[in-house]
Amino acid sequence: MDYNLKIGGQILPVEADLKDDGTLLARIGEKSFTTRYQIISEKQIHIDVEGIGMNVYLADNDDGKLINIHGTTYLVQDADTLERSGTRKRSSKELPQEITPPMPSVVECIMVAEGDVVEKGQSVIMVSAMKMEVKLQAPFKGKVLKINVAEGDKVMPGQILMDIEREEEDERKTQEEITQEKEKI
Amino acid sequence: MFEKILIANRGEIVVRIIATCREMGIKTVAVYSDADRSALHVLEADEAVYLGPSAPAESYLNMDKIIAAAKQTGAQAIHPGYGFLAENYLFVQRCKDDGIVFIGPPAQAVRDLGDKTVARQTMINSGVPVIPGMMQAEADPDVLMKEAELIGYPVLIKAAAGGGGKGMRIVHSAGDLREATESASREAKSAFGNGAIYLEKYLHQPRHVEFQILADAHGNVIHLLERECSIQRRHQKIIEETPSTALTPKLREEMGKAAVAAARASNYVNAGTVEFLVDHDGKFYFLEVNTRLQVEHPITEMITGIDLVRQQIEIAAGNPLKFSQADIVGRGHAMECRIYAEDPLSAFLPSPGKIHFLNEPKGPGIRNDSGVYSGYTVPMEYDPILSKLITHAESRQECINRMSRALKDYAVLGVLTPIPFLKDILSSEAFIKGETYTDFIDKHFAEWHPAMEGVDLACIAYIVDTMANHRAKNNFIQTDGESYSPWQTLGNFRP
Repeated sequence: MDYNLKIGGQILPVEADLKDDGTLLARIGEKSFTTRYQIISEKQIHIDVEGIGMNVYLADNDDGKLINIHGTTYLVQDADTLERSGTRKRSSKELPQEITPPMPSVVECIMVAEGDVVEKGQSVIMVSAMKMEVKLQAPFKGKVLKINVAEGDKVMPGQILMDIEREEEDERKTQEEITQEKEKI
Repeated sequence: MFEKILIANRGEIVVRIIATCREMGIKTVAVYSDADRSALHVLEADEAVYLGPSAPAESYLNMDKIIAAAKQTGAQAIHPGYGFLAENYLFVQRCKDDGIVFIGPPAQAVRDLGDKTVARQTMINSGVPVIPGMMQAEADPDVLMKEAELIGYPVLIKAAAGGGGKGMRIVHSAGDLREATESASREAKSAFGNGAIYLEKYLHQPRHVEFQILADAHGNVIHLLERECSIQRRHQKIIEETPSTALTPKLREEMGKAAVAAARASNYVNAGTVEFLVDHDGKFYFLEVNTRLQVEHPITEMITGIDLVRQQIEIAAGNPLKFSQADIVGRGHAMECRIYAEDPLSAFLPSPGKIHFLNEPKGPGIRNDSGVYSGYTVPMEYDPILSKLITHAESRQECINRMSRALKDYAVLGVLTPIPFLKDILSSEAFIKGETYTDFIDKHFAEWHPAMEGVDLACIAYIVDTMANHRAKNNFIQTDGESYSPWQTLGNFRP
């Protein structure tokens, strides 16, 4: 079996070959690994990689597997499946273009009203989780069309809390930005 | 001795207090909010009383409901844990008025020491050195501006009712002061119900060193050595250790004496912590007294062998201390790492959610004070602390090695934790050398990225699990409500 696995922002091509004796041969990029394994429970496997044994803990997540190696948890995803399902994560350099919380949180304070014109970078809503407050800012100058939540609501990352219409005069858009916007639509 | 104690808190500290109560033959009552119906502290206690909605004001901070819960269950004493009502003198007084013993200091001491400006004055009067700064809280931004000029930048904004870094801001120039005071005051108001703030001189590269004290109702006051808590992020301690690498025996003795003097000056009774900053020249300054059990109390328990919660309960019951200063000896080295639900890769933002799986480290010299379990959903309403991992060993380096080992065995799946970050701190040269100042994280770990050394292994594990699942699905046909036929379950059994 061939896989393209996404982990920590990189995609690794992996060739896996399960032998009749239960040995797994894995080739990750240029490196080869001979592995023996035991399934201990639904959440634990024991792998022996090139003669070194270790416990690995794992759980299925919405879009991949959470895998814990030596105390560090990695999200490992099948890049091919991700592509098919159209899940696209924004790169960290790109500014968020929507008003969405960075963490599961509670809406503490809505700082604008529908119809308001907001400046780029203006704080529009404050959310909090575990006693930490985070202010969400307008990604561009524009008019607040609709506020989708109320103070006290629980919200999740990805949920659009507020619709802001980008003001037309924002003309100095690079061709690249326009292309990115089209992609999203 | 009390027969039953109510613990007015949530999470790991309640579980820890229950452990000692159980050893002392005391029954325990937990309290809980909507978000905490299946929290570990509720599952561990002998009895649990529902308080109300998740918002702290309607549950863990609601004095009427907590007093009513104590009366309803016949609890003779209340242990407040840390946070919530632990340092609220009105609550201490309320307990007294209602004939319930508060396991902590008397209301007057909580009140005086809780007001950081009064505490500073008390310390100055009794000859304990303090950091230059304002003597009282101030709300007027123009007055604050003048005070800041007098003290000289950089200044530190602190909440008069503060603790835990809430409402604290470092301000480097006059231009930033106004906004910083406003946001600090708002944060203080939401955390403590009191938005009063004051300014202090900000010391460069100090260490945070605190002394544990015990004072009984018979006038005996002793200290149980120090804890160094310089490794902080956003003014939140993340790693604590004892002994401090910065203290000579002479300095330890001086600071211990100052801590005892501070306790006496405020008529302190029960367990408390006197916090100091220590500068490069070995000069120390009084910071504040925490009138409660500290989060990091276990490291003191490890090196002294004294159960601080047991001492708190004995003192509250009116018993004298069974040991004197000369009996207190620290053995070996102890360290604590706080395990928060937070994302070390996204600016340590909170990471509430379901813990799919938890494997907690064990072995010699390892203690894990935890408030969570596999399958538990960490609520977004409260502090992000999941557990505290504590190690004890003969020497500092062995203690570091033990902590590193324990962190590698600590698997939390579902919510994110700073474990990879902590592992890297422990193996860093600066930490190993003991160069632990309060700017440690900013100086050495501001641009931290995980090593990603387990990437290949994670890929292998992914494939093993995928193949095993694939097989399992072919082998096991789910037959809800029916008993399994051996022909189905053993379908692909290979001899």
